[in-house]
Amino acid sequence: MNSAPSYTAVPVRHTLSRPPAPQASSSPEKPKEPFGAGVRAYVQRAFESGNQIDSVDPKIMQARLKSIISEAAEAGTMNTIDWYTYDLPQDFIKREMDEAMRNRAQNGPMTNMNTYGLLSSDGLSSLPSHARKRKSPEADLNGSEQQDGTPPWKKKTGMNGLGDRITGLSKTQERKQQKKNNTMQAHSMDVDPDVLEKRRQRFGRGTPEPSIYVNPRDDSSLPTGPVVGTCQTLEKNYFRLTAPPAPHTVRPLPILEKALDLVRKKWKKEHNYSYACDQLKSLRQDLTVQHIKSSFTVKVYELHARIALEMGDLGEYNQCQTQLRALYKSNMGGNPEEFVAYRILYFIYTSNRTGVNDVLADLTTADKQKPAVQHALQVRSALASGNYHKFFRLYDDAPFMGPYLLDMFVQRERLAAMAAICKAYKPDVGLAFLTQELAFHGEEGSEDDPEAGLRQCVDFLCQHKAEHLIEQKGGEGGEVRVLTGKASLMFENARAAAFRSVDIKGQI
Amino acid sequence: MDSIFRDFAAAHNPATLPIGKAPGYVLASTICPEPPADEPARFYNFLRSTNAHSITTDLKYKLQYNPDVQLSKQEAAAWMEVFTTFYRFVGFLVAAEEAQNAGQAREADWSGVYDSWKDVVNALYKGYQSTVLAAWTIPCLYVAGKYLRVFAIKADEKTASQRDSGMAFGGIQEEDAFNPDSKNEKLEDAARQINRIFGLCISDRNPLDESRKWALYYTANLLFKTYFKLNSISLSKNIIRSIRASAHDMPALAAFPKAHRVTFYYYTGVLHFLEEDYATAEENLTTAYDLCLSPNVGGGATRKNLELILTYLIPTKLLTSHRLPSPALLAQYPRLASLFQPLTHSIRTANLAAFNAALEAGEPEFVKRRIYLTLERGRDIILRNIFRKVYIAGGFEEAKDGGGQTVRRTRVPVKEFAAALMLAGAEVGDGSGEVGVWDGDEVECLIANAIYKNLMKGYIARERGIIVLSKAGAFPGTGV
Repeated sequence: MNSAPSYTAVPVRHTLSRPPAPQASSSPEKPKEPFGAGVRAYVQRAFESGNQIDSVDPKIMQARLKSIISEAAEAGTMNTIDWYTYDLPQDFIKREMDEAMRNRAQNGPMTNMNTYGLLSSDGLSSLPSHARKRKSPEADLNGSEQQDGTPPWKKKTGMNGLGDRITGLSKTQERKQQKKNNTMQAHSMDVDPDVLEKRRQRFGRGTPEPSIYVNPRDDSSLPTGPVVGTCQTLEKNYFRLTAPPAPHTVRPLPILEKALDLVRKKWKKEHNYSYACDQLKSLRQDLTVQHIKSSFTVKVYELHARIALEMGDLGEYNQCQTQLRALYKSNMGGNPEEFVAYRILYFIYTSNRTGVNDVLADLTTADKQKPAVQHALQVRSALASGNYHKFFRLYDDAPFMGPYLLDMFVQRERLAAMAAICKAYKPDVGLAFLTQELAFHGEEGSEDDPEAGLRQCVDFLCQHKAEHLIEQKGGEGGEVRVLTGKASLMFENARAAAFRSVDIKGQI
Repeated sequence: MDSIFRDFAAAHNPATLPIGKAPGYVLASTICPEPPADEPARFYNFLRSTNAHSITTDLKYKLQYNPDVQLSKQEAAAWMEVFTTFYRFVGFLVAAEEAQNAGQAREADWSGVYDSWKDVVNALYKGYQSTVLAAWTIPCLYVAGKYLRVFAIKADEKTASQRDSGMAFGGIQEEDAFNPDSKNEKLEDAARQINRIFGLCISDRNPLDESRKWALYYTANLLFKTYFKLNSISLSKNIIRSIRASAHDMPALAAFPKAHRVTFYYYTGVLHFLEEDYATAEENLTTAYDLCLSPNVGGGATRKNLELILTYLIPTKLLTSHRLPSPALLAQYPRLASLFQPLTHSIRTANLAAFNAALEAGEPEFVKRRIYLTLERGRDIILRNIFRKVYIAGGFEEAKDGGGQTVRRTRVPVKEFAAALMLAGAEVGDGSGEVGVWDGDEVECLIANAIYKNLMKGYIARERGIIVLSKAGAFPGTGV
């Protein structure tokens, strides 16, 4: 399986200067010019046992040595540097490690959070903004601190993605870490959460091997396959990933199923959209990183799409709709009929002719027999021919959550209908007729009030500055009529303005 | 190898060329991935005449030390690179074609062909970018762009067939939800490459005589073609916009070869058609059509081009001037006839039921060509024709002011229109399903629309249940 990872890898810049040319570190064995005596003495000095620093791995030191010399050759400073007093590579490394350690101590919890890609539920509200900028505070610090040279452990393995975000790791540490990660992954399925928790405490913050070193794997060794989650908590806040998620932050399918139930119940009870949206997004993310595609995935997206539609959150709605379309294609169950109908209605709303054409091209004869799809197609054809009468009858009779979509453009279609009516009917029409033709039924809950629709219609006319055209004929108690003859141009302009702009959010 | 470089030398010595052969096109033929008709085995010979080891030396003798071509050092170097990459490309091409012909289509490496051809294109690109290659050689860019598209489509088809049979990575599921990689990977890349060529041409600051701007319309047309295939038609607008922006220092469109012009007008027309700007669409499509019909354009391609143009021109005319294609015109194009004949017949006879049936029957094809939503609006014309029939059938009555003169009856009861609509097969029932019952409001709505769209002049007097039609020209443009 060779699929793209499900997170956005964010390359981080380390220095303000341009990165060194690739040859700089790759071909130091074949120097272009012979080394002077100074350089040779410098190399010798670097290898003298008295100059070794215990915490610095000799291999790292060698690599650094090579890069110092090749950088000097590149920069043409071979002959200007005083090699006899120049700092040894191990000194550079030691200094940088200390520096990194100090920064870590200051920024520990923050960085930790970021590498985990997890925002704990009691978390810091400032974090999402970092996520949006896609640059961790850690990276910024490194940027300023390492202007005078990039440490070799960064350069050597070509870690241009994730590994880069983690600083100050010696090679042995790195190897150890990698081993640990691998075993963790291999056993993650059968590891008891308690054991995991203990281990986490053992390697907790503040110890010489703090948890910010999680994930020092470089890109090439990254598993591109699915993560297998071990998280057991039901609720989880959404946080946009910039690195592969740690398995213990991801919930496995059985937990996700319970989580969905919880979200659904809470939504019914509390109707708190920001909570529901956040939870559903983290649910979707957990599904994505684990490559779970099943009827359950469809359920999650359908629920989120419906809630988003109800709340008028078109951005989320569109994201869900896009995924659902793909999921339906691979026959995962769910309610394709309902969402195809929404798609058609949405394209009508955005006046997207190309979209309408494409959806028509996709429909099979069987699809067209489904009542909801048929309804949406009838809406489309009624509007295409300007048949407002039919449109408003369909408006009253929309299946599923169609009314939410229809409500997005019903006002505009009322103006269009008014433009036609005003041009065709002379000299006036009854208010009752207008109310009925334009499907005004009054606000919700006023079904018993026979006048509610009429009032709504009057409100609509007043909104468009047509109050002076409403007249009561034949004195008190007579019929209320609207002077259409004079309103033609007015509604034509209003119609044109209403169709001119449709704000499109999150469309693909 | 010899024949390629014979042509190459000839192109560089225009005096030796037969009359009517433009040096640029002769030159382009040397890197054309299709062998000339008189030498079908050209590529085999080319491969056999040298090998990967000696190609550099061999090319040096053909390009650098050849007394027949006097190339500057840079020119020779540029062509060296072009032909070195071309040699590699020919290797891929011949292998792929052999596999295809041997019935082992699975083995044909069209991706390799595409990628190696892209190397040739890049070598050319560099030659132009460093202004080593002169403007007269731009037909090479035509070949470059044209076959980028051809090979990209083949490579994508190959990948798609492998994916379907589960051979390629991922399988069909992987493709969509979480990995929105397109199934047109190579073609999308080709679009980017052709766009680079377009940029290369439009940014040329040389005087017009020796400008690469002469390749602009050809390249633009290639881009349109590719974007249409990729279903990202909206990108074409950027191309038109940049051409328009630099129009002041470009050669006039009329100075370009007719083939470039016809295609450009066609695509501009179709783009306006899709944006529902039918007036501009009609203008462009008509120009393309007339150019195509004018003399000294001949051959099979023209017929196909005319057919393509008419596919959009016919629906356009239906909307702009309510005109239908004559049976004589349709008779010349069997494909168009089968597409449009049922529709036009139903409109002429004002038969709504037949119109709906024809629209439904042709829907897949109409949708594919993106003319469905336009043709659908032909319904307005049918309704107009029905209403007009009612008006005419109403006959004459004596004018009010006396004098024995007769005028057409201008007050027509709504129920007469309703009856006519039902005869024609309109679905204006009130939903009860009973025969002979109609929804008066819907009939009025249809009439209101005809009035609103200026297909009919008059007004609805709802309380009296009549339509009052204009005494003069109740149906504009139809003689009544």
